[in-house]
Amino acid sequence: MKRNTEMEPDRLSITFAALADPTRRAILARLALGEATVTELAAPFDMSLPGISKHLKVLQRAGLIEQGRQAQWRPCRLAPEPLRSVADWVGQYRRHWEQSFERLDAYLRDLQDKQEQGKGDDDDRDPSRPR
Amino acid sequence: MTATQVDRGSTETTTVYTEGPDLVMERVFDAPRDLVWQVITDPERITNWWGPHGYTTTVEEMDVRPGGRWRFIQHTTGGEDVPFKGEYLEVVPPERVVQTFIFDVEPFNNEAAITTLTLEDLGGRTKMTSRDRFPSVESLEGALSTGMVGGAIQTWDRLAAVLGEAG
Repeated sequence: MKRNTEMEPDRLSITFAALADPTRRAILARLALGEATVTELAAPFDMSLPGISKHLKVLQRAGLIEQGRQAQWRPCRLAPEPLRSVADWVGQYRRHWEQSFERLDAYLRDLQDKQEQGKGDDDDRDPSRPR
Repeated sequence: MTATQVDRGSTETTTVYTEGPDLVMERVFDAPRDLVWQVITDPERITNWWGPHGYTTTVEEMDVRPGGRWRFIQHTTGGEDVPFKGEYLEVVPPERVVQTFIFDVEPFNNEAAITTLTLEDLGGRTKMTSRDRFPSVESLEGALSTGMVGGAIQTWDRLAAVLGEAG
């Protein structure tokens, strides 16, 4: 399937863009604990309603929060579904970092064996570099 | 059926209560009614008192006649701009103004409160009553949760100071 990435951003880009802000991530973290009204969300950030409303709009467009259209004073709710796509995307790279960890394990084991063999005979070797 | 009045943070100077979806504030100002009327309907003078302490206000539009519009930008101490707007529905000098009141930020600007401001002549002093009728109790409570009563009381303190200087 070919995506038309130039015309409009795909869902994943919209989700990442919404997440690319510490205030918005803090809002999501707060909502993960339960529903909250706009004023409750604004309080910890010492932010005015216009300020917090802009962030909520971005999160709403990304589908990360839910609030009735005509119900601006109702509590907002976390809508976690887009985060699954983020987790899936990141998950593709899991085996890469797991492989790196396995190589690091092997290297550290190797290093320990060398040290047990005795000191002084490996001064010319750079210990930070795997062989 | 009449709704019960519930006190919502009255102070020594200002009575504040809710009644159904209405927020009512009352205060007696030590100034004649004509002067109070001038100060609250003059775009030049409204910037001297509108908004809480430390805030400044820009009047973008203020056309005090039925069908006329108003739009004020409040500049907070935190450097943010908060816009309010509305339309004058009824203007009866020097005793009554009815206007819509909209917090002009999405998604809050999809609804309006209707404010009735009444000036009662007490012979050299003036009792001002503001009744904001919100579309629902939910909207009223939402607006109250923002701390608007504290801001309104400060606004009226500033108005009292301006009237004191003018009188």
